[in-house]
Amino acid sequence: MEKLFIQKCSNCNKFTFPRKYFCSACGSAEFDPVSVNEGKVREISVIRHMLGQKDWKPRKIANIETALGIYITAGIEDAVEVGDTLKIYSDNGAPIGKLTEEK
Amino acid sequence: MFDPRIIGVGQSVYTRHPSDDQTIQNLMKDAVLGALEDANLKHKEIDGFAIASFSITPDSAIDLAWRFGLSLNWLLQDTNGGSSAMNMLGHASRAIKTGEANNILILAGDATGLSGYAKIANSYNSATRDHLAPLGHGGPNGVYSLVTSRQMKKYNLRKSDYANLLISQRNWASKNPYAVYKKKLTKEEYNTAPLVADPLCRYDCVPVVAGAYAIIISRNQNESLERQVRIRAFEQSFNYENQEGDGTATGISIFRDKLFETAKLMPEDIGVLSIYDDYPAIVLAQLNDLGIIKDEKFRDYLESMEEQSQSVNTWGGMLSAGQPGGMAGGLNGIGEVVLQLQNRAGERQLNNVNFGIATGYGMTLYRHGGTVAATILEAI
Repeated sequence: MEKLFIQKCSNCNKFTFPRKYFCSACGSAEFDPVSVNEGKVREISVIRHMLGQKDWKPRKIANIETALGIYITAGIEDAVEVGDTLKIYSDNGAPIGKLTEEK
Repeated sequence: MFDPRIIGVGQSVYTRHPSDDQTIQNLMKDAVLGALEDANLKHKEIDGFAIASFSITPDSAIDLAWRFGLSLNWLLQDTNGGSSAMNMLGHASRAIKTGEANNILILAGDATGLSGYAKIANSYNSATRDHLAPLGHGGPNGVYSLVTSRQMKKYNLRKSDYANLLISQRNWASKNPYAVYKKKLTKEEYNTAPLVADPLCRYDCVPVVAGAYAIIISRNQNESLERQVRIRAFEQSFNYENQEGDGTATGISIFRDKLFETAKLMPEDIGVLSIYDDYPAIVLAQLNDLGIIKDEKFRDYLESMEEQSQSVNTWGGMLSAGQPGGMAGGLNGIGEVVLQLQNRAGERQLNNVNFGIATGYGMTLYRHGGTVAATILEAI
């Protein structure tokens, strides 16, 4: 697991994810990477069925309000509940929320 | 400037399990033949063509024109998913207005199969491919399960409140010979249905089908019809809030006033509504943005659907009749409004309908759809 990086506009400081080419607020094309370390779980869904897959095991995803104020969709563990504060990581670009810090 | 008329509609069968000869080519052929016959046009009179389909790859619009034997002045291929039908209607109507074409065939259809659809859903765009699909997010079901949870929280809705919308549409579908699901749905069946992506159950997730739909828009009217259909107002919105909202509102919220002002109508004047229905929450979001749901009283509106007093998705909508790709589903909604306005909707026919709305919604970017459009059609 790696840190999850989002973009911060170099001109107006607006945060955004996923990656953009221009800032929607000021039009700047310059961004700085900023890591998102923590977020609060707002909604959870259990994905119980996957089209085209027969042996699918249910898994949870969540809408997470990050500490930087932007929302991401993340994969979460079964024990996570709405309102939990999670540590945020990236698994090859896909956001993951964990109840405990990864060593 | 010419004032375009929608002069013909046609569709293929819709099927969950296409046979070997129900290929996308054959389904599209059936829809085109139906629309030409309905419009009372010969195939050589078509001089403009618009198409939207996931399934024609590697072909493009020009390949289809060639295979259909159409020599054209005007050609368009649209890639805006659930908003494609509306987008094509908008472009085509402007082409008719300016005289670029006389008769434009607008066609959409898909026959991806479930596994083909799953592949499309997992690589729908780069954001989905890179940030959602690796989570096993379940395609659009996962995205709209979270939107639905937010809508339930925001408007104090229970899961069971949504039942009437599905039951109402299924009742309409029972009168649509092309619908894939016609059996009436009970509240108990809805409330106990297996969950697919919480809180969405089986009946909340649009069934993917193989099928095609076509309409023809023209500078001339169809003399064989008693009532002609024209476009009274048309508005679109693309990426209106950069995915920064919660998905419980759509871009309709920013063009609603202009739409009704252009039409010189009020929401109460609309007799039939085809509201793009990939998920029930998105139907409600659009009805709210259009001002059809008053004072954000979602539950009151849903309760009123029990009597089927709301003329919403009178063809059954995609949720019951089936979704042949988002594109043809959107086109079917336009076609249904046309048929209702022309008193040609068979068992589904409403009384005294002079104005109808059709919408399109689609292109799930990351947290919800990025495109939406609406048109007000009128009978003259």
